[in-house]
Amino acid sequence: MKRKLTSLAEAAAFVSDGDVVALGGSLLRRQPMALARELVRQGRRDLTLLTWASSLATDLLVGAGCVSAWEGIYVGMWWQGAAPSFRRAVEQGRVRTTDYSESFMTARFRAAAMGLPFLPVVPIRGTEMSARDDIRSVVCPYTGDALQTVPAATTDVTVLHAYAGDEYGNIVWPVHRDSDDIDLIMGAASTTLIVSVERVIPHSEVVRRPNLTYIPHTKVTAICEAPFGAYPGSCDTVYDEHEDEIATWTTAGKSEEGFAAYIDRTVRDVPDHAAFLDALGADLLSSLKVGSDE
Amino acid sequence: MNDVAATGNELMVTAISRTLQDDDIVFVGVGTSGRAFTLAVGIPLVAARLAQLDHAPGLDIYWGNLLSPDLTDVPEHLTQDAITRWRGAYAPADVGQKVDMLVRGEFDVSFESAAQVDRYGNLNITRIGPADHPKVRLVGCLAQPEHLAFVKRPIIVVDLSSRVFVESVDHVTSFGFGSETRTRESLGYAGGGPTLVVTDHAVFDFTEEGRMRLRSLHPGVSVDDVLSRMSFTPDVADDLVETEPPSAETIRVIREEIDPSGALLRV
Repeated sequence: MKRKLTSLAEAAAFVSDGDVVALGGSLLRRQPMALARELVRQGRRDLTLLTWASSLATDLLVGAGCVSAWEGIYVGMWWQGAAPSFRRAVEQGRVRTTDYSESFMTARFRAAAMGLPFLPVVPIRGTEMSARDDIRSVVCPYTGDALQTVPAATTDVTVLHAYAGDEYGNIVWPVHRDSDDIDLIMGAASTTLIVSVERVIPHSEVVRRPNLTYIPHTKVTAICEAPFGAYPGSCDTVYDEHEDEIATWTTAGKSEEGFAAYIDRTVRDVPDHAAFLDALGADLLSSLKVGSDE
Repeated sequence: MNDVAATGNELMVTAISRTLQDDDIVFVGVGTSGRAFTLAVGIPLVAARLAQLDHAPGLDIYWGNLLSPDLTDVPEHLTQDAITRWRGAYAPADVGQKVDMLVRGEFDVSFESAAQVDRYGNLNITRIGPADHPKVRLVGCLAQPEHLAFVKRPIIVVDLSSRVFVESVDHVTSFGFGSETRTRESLGYAGGGPTLVVTDHAVFDFTEEGRMRLRSLHPGVSVDDVLSRMSFTPDVADDLVETEPPSAETIRVIREEIDPSGALLRV
């Protein structure tokens, strides 16, 4: 094992302009926000994002001008409606979208995890998705059935936010959590993987329950500590989403200027994650905490 | 007993609930907010719970990533922690395993919302307008293409509006019955396709050719009311009836036992 603990800025620097980047989490949960804010500060451009159900991280990176293309199953703010900057950028033709259904997107990440260039999928015919050139066909050599295929989710960097991990990059989930996401598959599918965690824990805690390690240190390129690293979204079992802040976000996002000012105030004019948390204040943050029932 | 009038939501709930069966596995999504939440989550959950209490005790619900959710105590306000703590029988380690169940045809019923629905039950939740410059970008695809491809009896739950009920959808996110010439059979589907469209004014089913057909009118609603809220003229059943209202006892069960806080049918 090697020590892989870095700062957020060092971890984010693994992402280069023009990269294909997978972002983890689902809906408002475990979006890698501290790392996304760092990517904005570092001025990344021309990224292609691959996501499951994405919300805040995609909207921020698109609103900050970091993104030229997106592929995935959903972008929105769940309870709070559309993701305003993503929606505007797509409507203005500034971000290209490639929409996948859940079984097709899952198969793309599974193919990458299996070291395969593609996977066959049970066909979903007649849809606009299936008419695209990236969805092709293959005949099953055993049954002769016609199947569709999807290309592997080949990424340059995978960016996840997680509950806890040790300095070597063993990423651990709690016994009880909300598992409605594909972070596990995204981790297995990654080539370069950077993970922010709510807290860095001693290796001695990890080894007692190795079956709770869902991403092993061998897969991880960099691990960094970011308490409230999914704020203003939630990290299940640790804190809830901050609904008022997300409402402020979506209101600011109604205009390009409004969101630019919001990004300046909350990201570009804030030197780092520690300063970001200081500005939010301990009272607010503790009001969002939820008890673990482990 | 007969002076208790059902709300529009309760009519929709009972129209759905009557079609649910004892050995069904019913999929319900996690939904969005406001009226969209009521249509995608609230009405389906109440309908499935009512079926369990009324005539289908063995019916199973898969909600989001949670099989057999405990619906005896629905919180009024759903934040992440309420979802995390929801009791249930099974939640796989990654949601891809639920998607596998879906693709294998293990779900009997699902519930669909959409920004556009056309005569042949094709659905659009992706975009309005052209691909390169959409007039409105919507959420994406989620698993709706799988629902209409692999679930045995998908039910579309939307409010009746001429903006939603269009002659043909701008983007076929999910393939219903295609068109007159491009049928499910011609594409190799074995069965499936939407079975009902349950709205705030009327209930529709589909003809053998896959065309939407007006099946029942909610009390007080005329055929003209329905047609004025659609951009195409549907088939009309020869034996068009009034949507059967729930009994006073069913209304009591919905209001007092299933949704006492009003969290599911509020709007």
